[in-house]
Amino acid sequence: MTGQETFGRRSVSVVGVAGMTFLLLPLLIVVPMSFSSARALAFPPPGFSLRWYAAFFGDPRWMDAMWISSSVALLSSWLALALGGLAAYGLRRTAFRGRSMIEANFLAPLIVPTIIVAVALYLGFARVGLLGTYVGLVLAHTMLSVPLVVMVLGVAVRDFDQRIEQVAWSLGASWLYTMRRVVLPHLAPSAFAAWIFAFIASFDEVIVTQFVAGTYDTVPKRMFNELILEINPTITAVATLLIGFTLVALGLVALLLRRSGRWPASAL
Amino acid sequence: MNGLAFVAPLLLVMIGAFNAPILYMLALGFWSKAGGFTTAHYAAVFEASVYLKVLASTLRISLIATVANVLLGYPLAYWMSGLRPTGQLVAVALVITPFWISILVRTYAWIVVLGNAGLVNSSLLALGVITEPIRFLYNELGVTIGMANVLLPFLVLPLFAAMVRIDGRLLQAAASLGATPATIFWKVFFPLTVPALGAGALLVFILSLGFYITPAILGGNRVSMISNLLDKLINEIPRWEQASVISTLLLIVTLVIFALYRRLDRSAA
Repeated sequence: MTGQETFGRRSVSVVGVAGMTFLLLPLLIVVPMSFSSARALAFPPPGFSLRWYAAFFGDPRWMDAMWISSSVALLSSWLALALGGLAAYGLRRTAFRGRSMIEANFLAPLIVPTIIVAVALYLGFARVGLLGTYVGLVLAHTMLSVPLVVMVLGVAVRDFDQRIEQVAWSLGASWLYTMRRVVLPHLAPSAFAAWIFAFIASFDEVIVTQFVAGTYDTVPKRMFNELILEINPTITAVATLLIGFTLVALGLVALLLRRSGRWPASAL
Repeated sequence: MNGLAFVAPLLLVMIGAFNAPILYMLALGFWSKAGGFTTAHYAAVFEASVYLKVLASTLRISLIATVANVLLGYPLAYWMSGLRPTGQLVAVALVITPFWISILVRTYAWIVVLGNAGLVNSSLLALGVITEPIRFLYNELGVTIGMANVLLPFLVLPLFAAMVRIDGRLLQAAASLGATPATIFWKVFFPLTVPALGAGALLVFILSLGFYITPAILGGNRVSMISNLLDKLINEIPRWEQASVISTLLLIVTLVIFALYRRLDRSAA
């Protein structure tokens, strides 16, 4: 860092600030646009109005999509948390053959390009009759959220001193009692963070949903299809609501993980 | 209790909803309509010039987006690493936030910024720099800008982490031996960041190859990348076998580059 003070400090800050602006520009633009009174996409907006919010909340199709998105996100994030939490515990606390391969398998959906997962699920689901079904959609979203849960909770379990569990056992607590009264309370903040990550991942998912959801419209799917067809400023209101929702959720996560003293770098 | 008991429920779900569909897709590329093994679908894909053209444009766009990311991301990470700790924390938070905001939102905003009546064109027109609006959208330029924007955090975060880890005494030692600031940067600082830069660039490149949303929205129907081709082969003209072949090829390329990335990433850490 000392090289910095000497080498090209001023031009570096100019380029650095420019890069940061480029990164944040989309978010800074969308929010004011959503309060525009005009139909045209002019920036800055000519006047203030809430008409695009009214258009969003007054449109039954958007409200339906909202319901589908929320219910799918709720179901899939709880499933991912329950299954992923158990798996993360098993992966960290026990040793068995093929452990690292199984863990890699759980993280794989993060590495395989989503478009390939989408194509594979389309073909596979079509074969077994899950294509276009609600169950298929929830299953797909669960699978996509699993890597996040396994990563966040894997770190949490590893950092939780196993001797505390052993003490509980040696004092005569049953395995279930230890789980319920010792392990889970310790993991609760990370589990909640993992659940939020899973919820956001499902709520924002577009590509796989686009391929396997059939007639089910989620908010991002509807947004995507509207963006391809025409530019309707209602989207700016949806976008702003999504930004607000994500920021609140991330704030919660930061608060929780800070309190529990871990902010896993892997959970960016 | 056996560890497998904890892992088994998730493993079953993953096999059903991930492994089996992927394997089925791989198999479909070798399955002839009459039943039995065939390489005809592969031959068909390699012979179709339209597929090769899409492949070429995917590689070109991904490469340009990666280079743009490096040119923009390196100075950004370098600037961030020179900030005070509080400033660093704020900067990292600012880089992470867009990462979590829906990619649709971030892509959509570029229509507002780059459109014919958008922010950039209207300011340039007002300043008299240009007389005709520049066409940013519905071509490769717009797609590249949008992709560079979405991918920037993937490069900046690991690069920043690597820069912060560099031992400041190395730079002081170089300075005390009489090296000029430029020499210190190019002979000491930069080489130490190369593994992280390479790993980040590879990661950005992998992600670019599979990009779907940004080309679909900012490219109109004019810019075709592999993902958009796959969309067509599945949802418009059903050619499932060829879609399987192309997905398989993309998967192989991705895994090879990912293995390379892992190796670089390990040496960076």
